[in-house]
Amino acid sequence: MHPAKKYRPALTALAVVAAFLIGGSFVPNFLNPANFLNVIRQCSIIAICAVGVTQVIVIKGIDLSVGGNVTFCGMLAGLLLGRGVPVPIAILAALAAGTAIGLVSGALHAYLEVPAFVATLVIGQITQGAAYLFNNGRSFGSFPPAFVFLGNGSLLGVPVSDYIMVIFVLAGVFVTTKLPIGTRIYGLGGNEQVLKNSGIDTAKIKLFVFAVSGFCAASAGVLLAAQLDTAHPTQGEPYQLDAIAACIIGGVSMAGGEGKVIMSMVGALIIQSIRNILNLLAVHSFYQNILVGVIIIGVVAISMMTRARRANKTAQFAAADAGALKP
Amino acid sequence: MQKKDTLETGWTRFLKEHGSIIFFAVLFLAASLFVNNFFTVRNVFTVIKQAAVPLVACMGLMLILTTGGIDLSLGYTLGLCSVLLGMMTKRYGFPAWTAIPLTLCVGAAVGLLNGSIVQFLKVPAFIATLGSGYVLFGIAQIFGKGDAFYQLPGDLLAFGTARPLSGLMDKLPEGAGGNLFLDQFFKLPAYVYIAALVAVIIFFLRHKTTYGRSLSAFGFNAATARLSGIRTARLHVLTYVISSTLVALAAVLLTIRVDCAQSNLGGSNYTFEIVTAAVVGGTSLFGGVSSVVNCIFGVLVTKTLENVVNLLAINIYLFQPLMGLVILLAIVLEAFKNRKL
Amino acid sequence: MALLEMKGITKYIFDSYGVAIRNTTVKILDKVDFSLEKGEVHILVGENGAGKSTLMKVLGGLIPPDEGEILLDGKPVRPRSARDALDLGIGFIHQELNLCGNLSVRDNIFMGRELTHKGMKDGKEMRRRSEELLKEMGVNIDPDTLVKNLSTAQQQIIEIAKVFSYDCRIIIMDEPTSSLTKTEIDILFRLIHRLKAQGVSIIYISHRLEEFERVGDRLSVLRDGQYIGTLEKEAFHVDRIVSMMVGRALGAMYENTHVPGGERVLEVRALRLEPHTAPISLHVNRGEIVGIGGLVGAGRTELAKSIFGYRKSFGGQVLYNGNPLKKLDPALLIRAGIIYLTEDRKTEGLILDMGIRQNISLASLFRLFPRLFMFGHKEEELARDMVGRLNVVCNALEQTARTLSGGNQQKVVLGKCLATQPKLLILDEPTRGIDVGAKAEIYHMIDTIARSGVAVLMISSDMPELIGMSDRIYVMREGAIVVEITEKAEMQQETILEHTIGRTGGVA
Repeated sequence: MHPAKKYRPALTALAVVAAFLIGGSFVPNFLNPANFLNVIRQCSIIAICAVGVTQVIVIKGIDLSVGGNVTFCGMLAGLLLGRGVPVPIAILAALAAGTAIGLVSGALHAYLEVPAFVATLVIGQITQGAAYLFNNGRSFGSFPPAFVFLGNGSLLGVPVSDYIMVIFVLAGVFVTTKLPIGTRIYGLGGNEQVLKNSGIDTAKIKLFVFAVSGFCAASAGVLLAAQLDTAHPTQGEPYQLDAIAACIIGGVSMAGGEGKVIMSMVGALIIQSIRNILNLLAVHSFYQNILVGVIIIGVVAISMMTRARRANKTAQFAAADAGALKP
Repeated sequence: MQKKDTLETGWTRFLKEHGSIIFFAVLFLAASLFVNNFFTVRNVFTVIKQAAVPLVACMGLMLILTTGGIDLSLGYTLGLCSVLLGMMTKRYGFPAWTAIPLTLCVGAAVGLLNGSIVQFLKVPAFIATLGSGYVLFGIAQIFGKGDAFYQLPGDLLAFGTARPLSGLMDKLPEGAGGNLFLDQFFKLPAYVYIAALVAVIIFFLRHKTTYGRSLSAFGFNAATARLSGIRTARLHVLTYVISSTLVALAAVLLTIRVDCAQSNLGGSNYTFEIVTAAVVGGTSLFGGVSSVVNCIFGVLVTKTLENVVNLLAINIYLFQPLMGLVILLAIVLEAFKNRKL
Repeated sequence: MALLEMKGITKYIFDSYGVAIRNTTVKILDKVDFSLEKGEVHILVGENGAGKSTLMKVLGGLIPPDEGEILLDGKPVRPRSARDALDLGIGFIHQELNLCGNLSVRDNIFMGRELTHKGMKDGKEMRRRSEELLKEMGVNIDPDTLVKNLSTAQQQIIEIAKVFSYDCRIIIMDEPTSSLTKTEIDILFRLIHRLKAQGVSIIYISHRLEEFERVGDRLSVLRDGQYIGTLEKEAFHVDRIVSMMVGRALGAMYENTHVPGGERVLEVRALRLEPHTAPISLHVNRGEIVGIGGLVGAGRTELAKSIFGYRKSFGGQVLYNGNPLKKLDPALLIRAGIIYLTEDRKTEGLILDMGIRQNISLASLFRLFPRLFMFGHKEEELARDMVGRLNVVCNALEQTARTLSGGNQQKVVLGKCLATQPKLLILDEPTRGIDVGAKAEIYHMIDTIARSGVAVLMISSDMPELIGMSDRIYVMREGAIVVEITEKAEMQQETILEHTIGRTGGVA
């Protein structure tokens, strides 16, 4: 294995520790337990989105509908709750809607061969636009306590949001590493033709992956509404970039076929820590967006360049490797 | 082998190559028949005026789409240029003839940045411009401090709103004076002419120059293009520079048109509208295929739809989802065209 | 009774959307019959475009036939997908590798039919079975290795193992040796004999005449979509096979009317392909054809691309007409009169979606239209001239390159190169994968070009071509030049091979 890849998890872990230490030593209150709990509570939204987005990027796609979907599903849950629909039913309806939205993007990509970024951009815009229609551009709020508990309550001192996050991440890890479809998802990112020749309906895998991403975004949207106790038609927007940034920082390759769900959660933690530190330092959100934008471009650029260099390195010359094959 | 061309009649070929014209014709006809006040001289000219600025931006985006890339920072570039233009003219009192070129230079610089990230750092275009869009938006907000600039100086407004042909009206023969059509035509503001000029220039650039041919070749297959002696790196970056300069020009015209300079003049919705126009205009998202004429009709389609939504006085929030459905329709038709369905 | 019989298979030509055009006399496959016995290696030959691959794709379930039937053990079958075919026991080993590089050997072998235990992947069992399978095939590869970390030959073995693990009774091999070294080919052939001994039937598509006798039991020839005939092993004679393939006796393929001149057009001094490889020095004179031999992967293409500035090189100097080139960059070199014809015409030579006219003029736009604007008929005249000179068979200059046959595509790429009016022509496998007729035309063209004073540097894996065309030959191994052969008399297949493989490399 290439050293850069072998040590990648270790390097990322090191980066997290470093981020926390730097945060802790320079930023007052960062390591304060209350603040820390806040960070991990807020990072759950990004991490849940990232569980889906990771798989989408692994199959060489991208999901630009996350922001719209988070908003749409939050608004839908808000609308239903406002009409007095019981909490579980409102949540289930929102999750179903989000999954359906993911399925539509997936169908566009899988069956009409629309590039993923276009399909999801379109769907993202439609959902974002539709979110304004729910209440004529206004927000919903004052949800039932049971709903707010999901976002703001805690069990044994740990926010409920984080239990939900852990469930999502574990489910993501389980699907991608323990189930046959996991291998196929990675295989699809590696070489789609191989799967087709093996009789696998790759369109179905794409549908599955985009549906999962839609489901994750919907869950994040509902959870966000619960955390904020409000659903506003723009509140999902920041999570678009953050979810992608989390995956990229976590080492998911834009070239497909590589990346781990668990590392994306670490990426989410890093992103949220950075945002939190900047908040504590009273840096305006204008600057935060600039920083996240720069981080995304920087990390992708570095990974693309190391990949290119690695490809060059493996250009070995024949006659040398013939002997390696001992009959 | 049988000659392939004979298999397709002239009509089916026209349909395939100029779908956006048919699209526009059908839409225009339907709107004329079913929407009150749509088919009036004044309204039609309103649509033309509304289409002028997006057309300039769309010409730029079309070039980038031809490389196989995309510019998701378009709307934010527009916002940044608008804010800077407002700042220069309103806060610092720059005259229009310095402020406008400077704004275009800012656009060119943004293009240089985006193009370099895509070309030299090998970051996929949609990620690079998604990221840079946030950066540009942040910068625009910092510069504008979140405010907007209203009541811009007269010399700046004159650049876009002057009516170059209005003098001709007096010279018209008797009887033609009351003609509403001629009246509207001669009153067209300068930005419509600027947009038309841009379209003509880009038409020649895209279809009648070695640059346009190289661009198309690069969009289809970058490796072959480079091995055939096309300076691909230069071409690629230059395309982003041209495109963003056009977006800056669109920013200048839009700022003048609405007499307001602010950072969220464009935003992701604007980007999306321009992408829709280009895609409806038959521009391939895989690179290589694009046409100026089709893009003009693509822009007209989006603007006609917006106009219809306004005239029907339904929910204004309907426009954005509707635009999404239009692009969906365009994509589905494209799939039909390639017989993927 | 034969194990497999294909009767009257017909496939019409289709338009670019895959819809059959029935109202023509031209067909891709025209009532082709084919039969296969148990445990035999049946070789399928024919020029490019003769329909071999199409016939096999029909059998492999990749494309449906328009007419005809397939009988397996006397029962009609109709594979509708690659998986269908595999389930019937028909495996297809493609020219392009059919593996996921980012997955392990084990995951690749069991792709699409993963072993599960209570719904979860059973990694241990898959590992055990893969290990067994590979051992059975006589190779020692760890099933947990990622495929991208294996050599090309090892990957090919994995692919065979994968097909084999479906309990295939029929294995189709489409030019399996095209990217293998000699040692690796030996391993492959040993494997084929082993499979044969186990009763597996193999259909072997190849262009290499010397392989037929080594592995084949029977040989069938297709030409222009029609079945021509089948030969038994005793009747394998090169002349006979070739005449069946081309329908006429093979005349003199190689022409040598050019006379090398004295001036050095290209001189490479101490160029390194990688920091650790030996420096390369070579030169090409005016009107001379210089061949570069060696194995695929020996660094020949890398050398060409380095000279042409498409790839980074380390140290050294490249002199053109005696002057050192300061910057190696394709755009500059083309303007100076150097052009490189790539080995991969589809991904590096052509713009498949553009017409013949646009492709031919692509590298000469700077010359035809120095003032940016493209007005007038210069481009069309150039394209018409090249199509005429190279005898490209096409309907119209606007026909897209995608719809041309391999040979005509290659002629278009050559036309693109010649249109730049080069002084130095670097050819990389100029006749790879094209039919005999087109080959002869291309050889004639290369000779004509050299006669007009153009220096030609030609990389070739086709030994007769290398020897037949070249005035001098450099042989490369492991990224460096190992020998320069200047005398025609020394240009023997054996001597070149010896240098190619290396005296110590050992032929297993």
